[in-house]
Amino acid sequence: MTTPENTPETIQPMMATRNLSKRYEDGVLALDSLDLSVNPGQIYAMLGGNGAGKTTTINLFLNFIDPTEGEAIVDGIITHQEPLKAKAKIAYVSENVMLYPNFTALQNLDYFSHLGGKTSYSAEDYQKVLLRVGLQEEAHDKKLRSYSKGMRQKCGIAIAILKDAPAILLDEPTSGLDPKAGMEFINLLQDLRDEGKAILMSTHDIFRAKQVADIVGIMNAGKLVAEKQREELVGEDLEKLYVEYMTGYMDTAVQATDASVTVG
Amino acid sequence: MLRTIIEKELRDIIGSTKFAVTFGVCALLIILAFYVGARNYQVSRVQHDAAVAENLRQMEGITDWMMVEHHVFMPPNPVSSLVTGISNDIGRNVEIHGRGELTAEDSRFNDDPIFAVFRFLDLDFIFQVILSLFAILFAYNAINGEKEQGTLRLAFANSIPKDTFILGKLIGSFLALALPLLIPILLGSLLLPLMGIPMDGNDWQKLALIILAGFLYFGVFLTLSTWVSTLTHRSANSFLLMLILWMFAVLIIPRTAVLLAGRAVDVLPVDEIATQKSRLMSQLWEEDRKTMKDFKPSTEDVQKVLDEFNRFMQDQAEERQKKMQALSGKLYEQRRNGQLQQQQLSFWLARLSPTAAFSLASMNLAGTSLSLKEHYMDAVKSYQQTYSNFFKEKTGGMLKSGGFIMRRMGGEENQPPPIDPTEIPAFEYRRPTIGASLGAAMGDLGLLTLFNLIFFAGAFVSFLKYDVR
Amino acid sequence: MLKTLIYKELKMIIASPKFTATFGTCAVLILLSIFIGIQEYRGAVRQYETAVQLNDQEMAESTSWGSFDTRVFRQPDPMQIFVSGIHYDVGRMTGISRWEEIKLRRSNYSDDPIFAVFRFIDFTFIVQIALSLLAILFTYDAINGEREQGTLKLTFANPVPKVTYILSKFIGAWLGLVIPLLIPILIGLLLVMLYNLPLTGVHWAKIITMLGFSLLFFTFFIAFGLMVSALTRSSSSSFLILLVAWVTLVLIIPRAGVMLAGQVQSVPTVAEIESKHAKFSQERWDQHSALISERYEKRNAAMEGLSPEDREAYEEEKMWSWMEEDDAEMKNVQADISEYGRKLQEDLRNRRAAQEKLAFLLSRVSPASAYQLAMMNLAATDINLKNRYEDAMRDYRTAFNGFVNKKLEDSGQHGGFRISISSETGVNIDTGDIDTKSLDLSEVPRFEDPRHSYSAAITPAMTDLALLIFFTLIAFAGAFSGFIRYDVR
Repeated sequence: MTTPENTPETIQPMMATRNLSKRYEDGVLALDSLDLSVNPGQIYAMLGGNGAGKTTTINLFLNFIDPTEGEAIVDGIITHQEPLKAKAKIAYVSENVMLYPNFTALQNLDYFSHLGGKTSYSAEDYQKVLLRVGLQEEAHDKKLRSYSKGMRQKCGIAIAILKDAPAILLDEPTSGLDPKAGMEFINLLQDLRDEGKAILMSTHDIFRAKQVADIVGIMNAGKLVAEKQREELVGEDLEKLYVEYMTGYMDTAVQATDASVTVG
Repeated sequence: MLRTIIEKELRDIIGSTKFAVTFGVCALLIILAFYVGARNYQVSRVQHDAAVAENLRQMEGITDWMMVEHHVFMPPNPVSSLVTGISNDIGRNVEIHGRGELTAEDSRFNDDPIFAVFRFLDLDFIFQVILSLFAILFAYNAINGEKEQGTLRLAFANSIPKDTFILGKLIGSFLALALPLLIPILLGSLLLPLMGIPMDGNDWQKLALIILAGFLYFGVFLTLSTWVSTLTHRSANSFLLMLILWMFAVLIIPRTAVLLAGRAVDVLPVDEIATQKSRLMSQLWEEDRKTMKDFKPSTEDVQKVLDEFNRFMQDQAEERQKKMQALSGKLYEQRRNGQLQQQQLSFWLARLSPTAAFSLASMNLAGTSLSLKEHYMDAVKSYQQTYSNFFKEKTGGMLKSGGFIMRRMGGEENQPPPIDPTEIPAFEYRRPTIGASLGAAMGDLGLLTLFNLIFFAGAFVSFLKYDVR
Repeated sequence: MLKTLIYKELKMIIASPKFTATFGTCAVLILLSIFIGIQEYRGAVRQYETAVQLNDQEMAESTSWGSFDTRVFRQPDPMQIFVSGIHYDVGRMTGISRWEEIKLRRSNYSDDPIFAVFRFIDFTFIVQIALSLLAILFTYDAINGEREQGTLKLTFANPVPKVTYILSKFIGAWLGLVIPLLIPILIGLLLVMLYNLPLTGVHWAKIITMLGFSLLFFTFFIAFGLMVSALTRSSSSSFLILLVAWVTLVLIIPRAGVMLAGQVQSVPTVAEIESKHAKFSQERWDQHSALISERYEKRNAAMEGLSPEDREAYEEEKMWSWMEEDDAEMKNVQADISEYGRKLQEDLRNRRAAQEKLAFLLSRVSPASAYQLAMMNLAATDINLKNRYEDAMRDYRTAFNGFVNKKLEDSGQHGGFRISISSETGVNIDTGDIDTKSLDLSEVPRFEDPRHSYSAAITPAMTDLALLIFFTLIAFAGAFSGFIRYDVR
């Protein structure tokens, strides 16, 4: 099974972190010496609860924040040293995609494609991608303010596709999608993987993670507590594994529910 | 139920940072306005007293009443210093002649144009700007903001009648905002006696009514904002709308209405009156000079001749005066009618804006409205009569007439003793009583109340139809 | 990249629903202000022309140089359309005669206080109030609004330099707001041209400079809004801060600064000055009459013991020299009095100037004051309007009186009438010249309004120009450094 081309030594990972740590000003250690890598053609799913460090990791890749220690690397570029060069190689879909509400989908796509350095797309190209992500044609010229959450999510994914970057960061991408759209999205991700993109996604959704990921990393309190290859997951009960590592998370979840009761 | 909603509203507003910041600023500005008004009064008081003293001092050593030049000045008033109105625009200084027309000169802005550059900072202005903005800032999202937050859905998942909810909202926000504003207002009022400003009972009542008008004005913007927030579904829109409405109400409509409507009415210009008068004057003067040639003294005694001549001149002057008065009376009446018409048209148009109604009400209460000029001139005219009687008594029925001064040269006769200027009756300017002021302000106070009722009803009705989802 | 960002910024501004509402409002207000300004100016010209005409008629009807006097009026300047300044507060006219000092009387507002109740509306006012609010409305959420929307994150997931981004925000907002605003402004100027107002090249140069100042002031508020937006996380707090700042800068500081200066630096009132002047002149005249009676006695003493015939001959002989002597003395007194008055005025002016300097220094903490002061200087409706006119009128008074005195000498007329009473001849009234025909007025000097050149307008405005640029740069630097450190999440 291990052919020379597949060994980590010869393939440079598209996205990697080395000893990546982040301590916020308030003293919270959000990320504690994280090491992970995503190769081209791989989907890496970070599983974990709120505060596990998933979004912090993504923010570090995008250099929205500077690391306290270590580094995030995209295609060999250390992100906090050359953020602009790194960001040219990353496409990003946020948890809750928000676009310009007064622009139509096409206008939003055009604007963000230009920012991504893609200036030669035509209106047909945009429409094709929108159709591909499952957005009906009659919606293309509507302003985004009339869009539902799922439609906005699809637009966000279209923007990421259009950027045609080798690395893709997805922050809870399926959170606003209905089951059918979720399914379509999984297919889309698999297509992108087959095109050779390296995809790093954060998710709560164990089911989807198991379905699509090549590697699943379970995070808790800023630490990568387990990392399983797709092969290792076959037959493994991921839910059980997750709960095992996530006792801390379950506690916080319960607390959060308590809090919301008192607030309401 | 109502109580719960009011309590929630109170807590919601007073607990917010927004409240802390804006209330702090408002409080500071209100106290500043009181301080500036008080200082203004002090400065005007000093100036006025100095002018009066100087007027008397100049008469010292004069031996002949015919040589006296007497001026009266508009005394300052504490409430008028707080709401300046037109008091800085009209003349304050009047030279009193025994007869003839009087003109007030030396307006503050003409004397000190520096204050005209940016205008005065008075309580009226602060209230106009601050109270309205304060109300808008807290009521623009009264309903649609709760909708955006999702709390409106949650609230109406309970068995709350809509009318109770909106009533609670309005009462709650009024209490939460108006009551705290009383603190700086009371502090500012306290500043007045502390700074030694002599406020009498009348003044306090007027000030209290001005503050009441302020709260009515505040209520107008509060109910209007609440209404607008029930008409829109997004708070950003209602805020934008309110801000534009605010700009029009406070800054644009009053000015534009007066400028456009005021110019639409023809008013006899003062230049025209002055010319007509001066023409008649020179005509009469020439006629008189002809008759003067016919003057024949009845005796040879110099002193008697002089007296006789003076009397002759006096009679002529009286005669001229009558004719002049007939003309100027006619002209001024004509002008006055035009002005009244102008005032009615432009002020009614301006009253489209509650700010104009508030401003006119507070000026009327403070005695600095347009009627100040008339009121002052009436007081001066009645003083003129007193002065003229006094003067005649002193000079044996003689009055000074403009442009004709007799100087007695040579020291042949004994110098008469100097006159005593303190004998001159003092000029007292009484401000309108509280009753008169209130009477003048009643219309605008009523209008402000009406605005409140209309906007309240508007908010009420449109909330009953509001989609709470 | 910059182009894409600016383009998007423009689209976003123009497509936003608030743009239509606010831009429409501002456009209407600009046009309204210019329209009102033109109407008021035309009204003022009519008033001025009527007044001058009436005065000319009166002069034409007068028959005696002795009582000959005139009035001069301030001529309206078309620049007041844009900046009314203190034009309506300062007296419109003064009497010119040998017995009256120059004093500007009868300001528009004291004549028609109705217009003073709510004050004036002009282009400067609109720029100060409405355009500054407009600038704030479109920039308060420039940065933090995008963060709240989530688009800032998405944008910076791309290789966008922060410098380029903030620059594009600024340029985009500037272009998106200024170009539309130029439309009503240009229409307004077209209106001014259509009314065929007497605008010279200097006027147009001033108008263009005023436009430049207005844009600079507007630019400041764009930069200021951006700055606050780049220093705060939520758009609601940035708006609150901006609104409070706006009220303070536009409505409070200018007034408070002047009031404060008025407290610190006091200036004698006109009443005080006049009473000082009156006191001096009274003393001087008393001195004079003492001197004259002394002379009288001396002259009488010289005639002591002469027979009535000799006495008459002596008087006849001396009459001219006596009269000249008395006349010279009287002129002396008059000169002294007017010199004293001049000194008093100069002193008053110096103290006023000191007060103004302090007042404007304090108010200029706010760009709104700097802007308004510059505009007033450019339109010649500034605080010195009164001084300029009083100086010109004083010069004119000298020329006018010189002319009248010469006429009096030439014609041998004298003012008023003369009454002589003596025990011998009884009362004799000489009313002089009432029967003479009307006077030849062709040579009467005409009053010329003080000129206000472009350089006189721009020199004092330079300070304000520098200040406005300074404020704008500070605000922009604040926006810049705030955004460089901005957490885009």
